[in-house]
Amino acid sequence: MSGPDEHRVNDPLDLEAPPGQARALTAEDEEEAPAHGGPVADAQGRGRDDSEKLDQYLLRRYHLYGDRTAREQLITMYLPLVRSLARRYASRGEQFDDLVQVGAIGLIKAIDRFDLSRGVELTTYATPNIVGEIKRYFRDKGWSVRVPRGLQELNIRLNKIIDELVPKLQRSPTINELAEAASATPEQVLEALETSQAYNSVSLQASPNGEGGEEDAGLIDYLGGEEEAYDTMEDRTTLAPGFAKLDKRERYILHLRFFEGLTQSQIAERVGISQMHVSRLIRRSLERLREEIGELDAPLIMRPSGDDPK
Amino acid sequence: MAERIDLEVPATLNALSTVRMVLGGIGARLDFSLDDLEDIYLATDELLRTALVADAPDRLSVEVLLEGGLLRFTAGTFKSAKLRADVTMHAEDCLDLCMLLRRTVDDVVLEDDDGAYRIVLVKRRKGGPA
Repeated sequence: MSGPDEHRVNDPLDLEAPPGQARALTAEDEEEAPAHGGPVADAQGRGRDDSEKLDQYLLRRYHLYGDRTAREQLITMYLPLVRSLARRYASRGEQFDDLVQVGAIGLIKAIDRFDLSRGVELTTYATPNIVGEIKRYFRDKGWSVRVPRGLQELNIRLNKIIDELVPKLQRSPTINELAEAASATPEQVLEALETSQAYNSVSLQASPNGEGGEEDAGLIDYLGGEEEAYDTMEDRTTLAPGFAKLDKRERYILHLRFFEGLTQSQIAERVGISQMHVSRLIRRSLERLREEIGELDAPLIMRPSGDDPK
Repeated sequence: MAERIDLEVPATLNALSTVRMVLGGIGARLDFSLDDLEDIYLATDELLRTALVADAPDRLSVEVLLEGGLLRFTAGTFKSAKLRADVTMHAEDCLDLCMLLRRTVDDVVLEDDDGAYRIVLVKRRKGGPA
């Protein structure tokens, strides 16, 4: 994968002025202006104080005098920061350039909303704005059909609540229990659960709770211990035509559900993912098998010949 | 006291989500666990999807009966011999519709009706609170 600076931003918003085209400050400005710094300059060895002075100078030019060239300069100066933050999310199934675009929107919002009187650095204020915008993009992008934000958030909350309630109750919770724990109505819970089927949890790097937060472990982090079991199971399995279309984890989950007779909650515990995710994977697997072999004209899967896949 | 709900929906995949929502509401009232509810969703979804292709009806008629901790789901009438075979015949060592239904509901019954038949799925509450 190429480095962040090798990616050019496809820039429909004209966020990144080509080098040399951004209007230079006037001679009067230049006298007032500190040496060019910023995050890029830091990397090039220029002083942090100079960078901060230039930030403050440009922010004042923009906010007090409406100097849009100063704004453009700030955007250009901070695009490497955007790229750096976007790069952390680049392995989660979205194009790096798209993430830079989204992050740049967060940067612009930070510059536009920056409050000079607060005395904080632009970097401090911009970073959570950029990361927040990228996370929001992942959250919205993860839904294959448009689902209202409130339902998405309830869905994410339910995911966590289910994971908490199963060990506490030692069984799968009811809709009423979920509604009570989520301070929602049973109807809202049912609707949120239904919409979870519209969520694309494809990337193993994606956060299991769907938020995509950098601090969250990816699904792949939960799976290492199961790889051996997948392999053993596969060794003992005769594959029907559609079965090969599924990945190891999907085959393993179908095996546990339909040949071992485990419930979704039990599978979730064993595989280390949420019950809702197990539900999505089972439905998606059956859908893919159906597409592959036709509408149940053939058996979906041949039974493993061994007794125990482990 | 038993309570019965009758539904007639277009024979399309989109209509299946309506059936699911109704089942979800009933399952919530019966205090079904999420696992049980997912089972009944999966069973009815796979059954009706197969029926749509095998039987090609214009409309889908569904009846849901609640009694105690039991949900009785009836679909039909159907005439397709293939659908009947898919529901009742299990090929050994295969995950087919018959096995999927066995794994997700407690009983599968075919009720004959003047040359046609209805398919009944029975799900008992077992995973919820005592």
